[in-house]
Amino acid sequence: MRIKIKLYASLRWKLFDEAEWECDPGHDIAAIVEQLGLPRADVGTVLVNGMHAGWEEPVREGDVLALLPRMGGG
Amino acid sequence: MSDKQQPSKNPASVIYQRCTIDLASGAAAFAKVPCKNLEDVLGGFGRSFQILAERRITDAYTPENPLILNTGLLTGTSIMTGMRSYFSGYSPLKKSDKGMPGAMWSTGSGNFGNKFKWTGLDEVIFENRSEQPVYALLKEGASGPEVELKPASHLMGLTGHEKIMALSKEYPDAHFAAIGPAGENWRTVFMGAVVLSTDNEISSDEPKSRFAGRGGMGSLMGYKNLLAIVAQSSDKIQKITPEIRDVNRDIIKSGGSARFQPVSQGGGGGTWANIEVLQAFHAVPLNNFRPKGNDDVERLFRDEVEKEFDIASEACFRCGIRCHNNLFHRNEDGSRGKLAAKFDFEPLILFGSNLGVHDPALVCDLIHRCDLLGMDAISLGTTISYILDYNERHPDQPLFNGASFGEYEKIAELIDDTGRGRISGIGQGVKRLSEEAGETSYAMHVKGLELPAYLPDTNPGYIFAIAGGHMSMGTHMMLAKEGKRSMDEWVQAVTTGGLLQVGYDMIGLCKFVGVGIGHDLIVRALREAAGLEIASQEIVASVRRAYLRGLALELRQGFHEDEEYTLPSQVMDNPNPAVTLPSFITREFLAELRQRVWGVFKPEMEGLLPAAGE
Repeated sequence: MRIKIKLYASLRWKLFDEAEWECDPGHDIAAIVEQLGLPRADVGTVLVNGMHAGWEEPVREGDVLALLPRMGGG
Repeated sequence: MSDKQQPSKNPASVIYQRCTIDLASGAAAFAKVPCKNLEDVLGGFGRSFQILAERRITDAYTPENPLILNTGLLTGTSIMTGMRSYFSGYSPLKKSDKGMPGAMWSTGSGNFGNKFKWTGLDEVIFENRSEQPVYALLKEGASGPEVELKPASHLMGLTGHEKIMALSKEYPDAHFAAIGPAGENWRTVFMGAVVLSTDNEISSDEPKSRFAGRGGMGSLMGYKNLLAIVAQSSDKIQKITPEIRDVNRDIIKSGGSARFQPVSQGGGGGTWANIEVLQAFHAVPLNNFRPKGNDDVERLFRDEVEKEFDIASEACFRCGIRCHNNLFHRNEDGSRGKLAAKFDFEPLILFGSNLGVHDPALVCDLIHRCDLLGMDAISLGTTISYILDYNERHPDQPLFNGASFGEYEKIAELIDDTGRGRISGIGQGVKRLSEEAGETSYAMHVKGLELPAYLPDTNPGYIFAIAGGHMSMGTHMMLAKEGKRSMDEWVQAVTTGGLLQVGYDMIGLCKFVGVGIGHDLIVRALREAAGLEIASQEIVASVRRAYLRGLALELRQGFHEDEEYTLPSQVMDNPNPAVTLPSFITREFLAELRQRVWGVFKPEMEGLLPAAGE
């Protein structure tokens, strides 16, 4: 199945801004991040279709998966 | 200190060196002071707030209001980022509705903290005020620290950087804390910053200072006629033992600091990256904290700015995190030219998108002006954004020069005129200004301290910050990062993890170490570099007491526990549909949050302040 992946800030500088991505049905977000070759510690926030999501959540055909780096300040 | 003392059992076994300087007479008194509790031991605001709590101050600009300079336990050690110096006093800026000043501290890095510690002093209390402009020379003497007040009329009118460079010619082995023209104009500017010198600044003669900006401690210095503090000592760099080396390695490798490290090292590139992350939710402040759901801020993304400027990742003294993003102009031949500005998230947004200015070169110039004049970028930027908003709403009766969003030249004029004391109103902050203008709903402050560049619509935790929105309550990213918005989650965050943000403002390290204050790294750092065995839960308990003492001081200074622990009313009355994060802050939400948080805090606040008459 195909999903869209959007990366932000340091993550996109390392890989790409946005891409169509082929993955197996039932794959969870952790597996996709591993497939991308991103250390999980580099990812601070995960959104599926604009909603916050956890590592173990599965993605579905046509989902937009956004990965944001860890944020900090102060 | 003996090896591996346990100060929680016997804090008086830890002694710190205090000097009290009477600026009126020039007299100095030294004292070796035994610590009363663990807050004294850890230092920073944990110690200074106990001194402030002993005084009843009703006006920041009175001789009885002290300016306290101190360090944390790890300042001057070889633990990475251990450079912090702290400036505390009753703030000219932060004020309750009853007109009383709030206690404040402000802190910065650079090399001044190290040099100060190496003079042999842990704390200086500046009492009263000098009749004439002076600077204080703190130096290492043959038999202990020595202090001297010196005439400083020749420094009047110079920028903070110029003062530092002038003094460095006379004291080549020293570092400096100075005020800019804004601090000199303390009558009209309550948001003066303390400008701290860096090695890089002195060697390059470029204004790469660091700032202790919040709460107007630079203005308090100005009131006292104290234009600069010189810390002169030989370098006493602590030997790096294998254990200290391991702590520093772990600081660098920790995920907490990685986000602040240079992109070229695989890091996140500092707080600048927050723009892009928050823009994913259209939650970057724009036009006075009112995002429009458009892509205007994207011109300030790092890769866009890189097209025009050379970006260098630079560092404070011996810090491997290298969080400074200094922007340099490019010469025609492509080589690196003059320093344009340092780009951190706060000034970048508060002098950029939040003023409707999106051209990076113009944003650089505005930041640069603020820095040179020595003002707090958060307070000034947020106050100016209010003016631009007001003027957009009242084009026929505008404030000041009529500046509106995006009008760079008029905004630059407001900055210069404020810092040079040519106009009053702006420098006194957005709370006073909005009250005078009669429109407070979109004045972005809590308890008189202007908000940093994280939307109040996303952070009800701001109301329990005691020294600036995100520096003293670490809940500012919670909604964007984790999507949390239930009452239970916010009560938990404010009453447990959020308040521990202030722990770094005790121990002498920078928050960009990025681990929780009770982390094993901190325990090891204190053990190896300070020779003190303090358990994680003891550190956490001490930080909690220090925070709660600050909160108790706010109530004592007249801050109303309901009416002033609130957000700008625009947040509740006119939620912004352009922000894609959930809108959840209502008046009812804040009322319940207050009730539940006070319910946790108040019993613990009992006995933290001296009883009346003590």
